[in-house]
Amino acid sequence: MEEAPNPVNLVVQVLDDMREYERIAGFSQIARRALANNGFDGVLTMIGVLMGNYLGNVRDPGIVIRIGIATSISIGISGLWGAYLAESAERGRELAELERLSLTDLGKTKIGRASRVAVIVVSLVDGLSPLLSSVLVLFPFFFTPLLGDILLSYVISLVVALVGLFGLGMFLGSVSGRSLVGYGLRTVVAGIVAIVINVLLPLDS
Amino acid sequence: MGNLRRLVMDVLKPLEPSIVELAQVLSDLEGVDGANISIYEIDRRVENAKITIEGHHLNYQNIVRVIEENGGAVHSIDEVAAGNVLIEDVITPQD
Repeated sequence: MEEAPNPVNLVVQVLDDMREYERIAGFSQIARRALANNGFDGVLTMIGVLMGNYLGNVRDPGIVIRIGIATSISIGISGLWGAYLAESAERGRELAELERLSLTDLGKTKIGRASRVAVIVVSLVDGLSPLLSSVLVLFPFFFTPLLGDILLSYVISLVVALVGLFGLGMFLGSVSGRSLVGYGLRTVVAGIVAIVINVLLPLDS
Repeated sequence: MGNLRRLVMDVLKPLEPSIVELAQVLSDLEGVDGANISIYEIDRRVENAKITIEGHHLNYQNIVRVIEENGGAVHSIDEVAAGNVLIEDVITPQD
């Protein structure tokens, strides 16, 4: 009887393969950029949704959640779709050029697989980072009945958003090897600017 | 059929996977004692490599499969040695 593959070995094998594909296709830098950019987009979009709901006198957590989730899904799909189309076009062109130079079909080789994995990884990061970051900001509204006051949910959500922005800034700081707090503060300022502009806009009907 | 002992091939390959990885993968093959890869021409995306493999029982199909799996194309087989004794190329007066 054939022995079932050990799950630990399988995970080690997959990780080894991923490292090799990353060496060949070099997608970690693009994925890192996508994570920061789109996570930032997700949080800022959700700050917009929160401010819009708050200033529009929405006091029903169900409506905030509904609008927030719909927005999160849209920015997630936008990231996933856009990145998939752009990345697969770019990688396809690179592979075709390499095939032309080497006069071989590289589709079934390690290089072809690395190219396909790169497209999938970058698309997933592009799609999931804004989706998850925006859902995270929305989280306090699920606990509004426990918190007792929806205004408290708004405040906690905005604090979560600013903390999230600070975390993303620190991540960028660690990537660049510069000041973590400096980068964190710069991203937080973007969130504060978005909040202040929303408050100052004379749109009350 | 006699044992294949040495293969020298001219291969065109992409820059990645690197020759470090390719040499390691080739040297891990059954029947291979050692592999040497030297680059004699390099372009922006591809390079020409001379791959020398020695062993006691080389499997040509497996070797070519590994090279192709890593994106390489065998352009020519420049030297082959087979049998119980490894015989070097003999210099004759005509050379």
